Amino acid sequence: MADPVLSVKNLAVEFDTYGGTVQAVRGVDFDVERGKTLAIVGESGCGKSVTVQSIMGLTPMPPGRITSGSAMMGDIDIIGRKTINGEDIRGSQIGMIFQDPMTSLNPTMNIGSQIAETLIVHRGYSSKQAFARAIELLDMSKIPEAAKRAKQYPFEFSGGMLQRAMIAMAIACEPPILIADEPTTALDVTIQAQILDLLMELQRNNGMSIILITHDLGVVARMAEHVLVMYAGQIVEHGPVDEIFYRSGHPYTMGLRAAMPTNDPNAEQRLTPIDGSPPDLFHPPVGCGYFARCPHAMRICAEQPPQAHQLSAAHAAKCWLHHEANTQQVAQINLRDHAGEEPS
Amino acid sequence: MWRYTFKRLLQGVITVWFIATATFAAMHLVPGDPLASDKAVSEEIRANLEAKYGLNEPVWKQYTIYLGNLAQGDFGISFTQKNRLVNDIIREHFPVSATLGLLAVLFAGLGGVIWGALTALYRNRLPDIIIMFLVILGISVPSFVVAAFGQLGLVSLNNLAGFNVLPVGGWGTVAHMLVPAMVLGLSTMAYLTRLMRSSMLEIVSSDFVRTAKAKGLPPTRIFTAHQLRNAVLPVITVLGPAIAAITTGGFVVELVFAIPGLGRYFVEAVQQLDYTVIMGTTVFYGAFLVFMVIAVDVIYGFIDPRVRLE
Repeated sequence: MADPVLSVKNLAVEFDTYGGTVQAVRGVDFDVERGKTLAIVGESGCGKSVTVQSIMGLTPMPPGRITSGSAMMGDIDIIGRKTINGEDIRGSQIGMIFQDPMTSLNPTMNIGSQIAETLIVHRGYSSKQAFARAIELLDMSKIPEAAKRAKQYPFEFSGGMLQRAMIAMAIACEPPILIADEPTTALDVTIQAQILDLLMELQRNNGMSIILITHDLGVVARMAEHVLVMYAGQIVEHGPVDEIFYRSGHPYTMGLRAAMPTNDPNAEQRLTPIDGSPPDLFHPPVGCGYFARCPHAMRICAEQPPQAHQLSAAHAAKCWLHHEANTQQVAQINLRDHAGEEPS
Repeated sequence: MWRYTFKRLLQGVITVWFIATATFAAMHLVPGDPLASDKAVSEEIRANLEAKYGLNEPVWKQYTIYLGNLAQGDFGISFTQKNRLVNDIIREHFPVSATLGLLAVLFAGLGGVIWGALTALYRNRLPDIIIMFLVILGISVPSFVVAAFGQLGLVSLNNLAGFNVLPVGGWGTVAHMLVPAMVLGLSTMAYLTRLMRSSMLEIVSSDFVRTAKAKGLPPTRIFTAHQLRNAVLPVITVLGPAIAAITTGGFVVELVFAIPGLGRYFVEAVQQLDYTVIMGTTVFYGAFLVFMVIAVDVIYGFIDPRVRLE
């Protein structure tokens, strides 16, 4: 993984609440490669959004607190910083789009001005130049009649169009990194595909890296080169997309895959959910976070946190099953799951 | 937008007609006869008045006469004050009430927005706690108490300074208006502060403010362009009724500070059953309220694009 654009090491984030301190992110490491897409998957509350929002400095502090870790862009740690080499990190170095485009835009400001704003602040454009550029950006984001649309307000746009406008806004300053936090969750399926195509096309054209947060494995398969699987505030497995899908190394990843619906119209089987719910992050378990729900749990899983086990050059999983003595066993598990048997 | 304004104005006219009718009905349901008071008017005057207003005619006839006069902008002659047209009373005294009222509204609106935004940004910290305590005071202490304290404060200030810093009562210059306007606007300001605070709290944690932060905008720009403009909308909605309430609700303050406003005439007229003055001022105030509400709605349309197209 030579020369990543962003390299996150041992990031940990806590939130003080009335019920105590929630350890939302507990030591996360990852690299974002130039021009590539990194997907972060995991269920609600596993810390995916908090991870990227902490890097951007968008977590409210207090109650949030980054207790450890670094996020290096080049030689500079951007955690807690607003600028890097004289440029603002937010908007200029990292763009971001969010889950719900209907509420993510200011209802009282027209779309063009909201895009232009970024250029005025970061690039010193005059308001006229910025508005003209905003129209070009809307056009690039495949919004028909961009000049007319730029003068309209968010309530005059559909959800898909708003998300396109959000993308136009996020890439206005051509940031090297775009964070897409569940960009298609609030949209219907055909629009989802269009938005994802748009993101890929923009990536091809300007070579930006995308951090894609999602819980839709279909989106992952379509978009990502590299995948992080998060569970209970930790990365339990990461690797190239094919290895994650075809040679899953962590029981949680296997569970996620088993829970995916198929496209087969003749399939007459129930989805296999992962039983139970994620652990209480007020008091995270001593051992593996997935212990309570894991069909392959062993005694050691409850007692000691598993270390990352390298499955191939770029593929690693944090699971005791891969520990020396267990290598044989995991191969069998994978085989059994691939055969499509009902897990017990 | 023009269509919308026209429609609202038409609705306003209908509302005013309704107010006029209701006032007329109420006046005729009240027992008593304005002309049979202790200060009995002479037979001649009585006959003249009865003829002009058709007081001996059936009620529906009186009503048509009344509406006809109203349509021509003629509110009639006072029954109890010599040689006073109701129109003259309004023309002389309403500007005083309106000036005081508008100043009070300005004070209340600006204060409410500023304090409200401030308390939201300093949520649960000292400035928030202090201001919200004062707000509770401002809402719950009745205006005659505030007016009395305001005047007491003025007297002490002047005594302390040894000369008249601000006049204690009366009317004429801006100096006369300041303290009465603050007293008059205080409870509205307190109410608007609460409204603005809750609205601002909602906006501060909204998705589009997060977007603005993610765009890397400076905090001042986020505050003015994204937070304030959206948070101020509910405040503007209640501003219309507030303007009317303040401008018409100044009896007590006008009395305490010896201000020759319209409020006093209104109260006196009710006590003396002065039909024409009561009906005149009620309809006038009613119309004023209705059109203030419309004006605010139209202004709202300029601030919130979502309202414009409807």
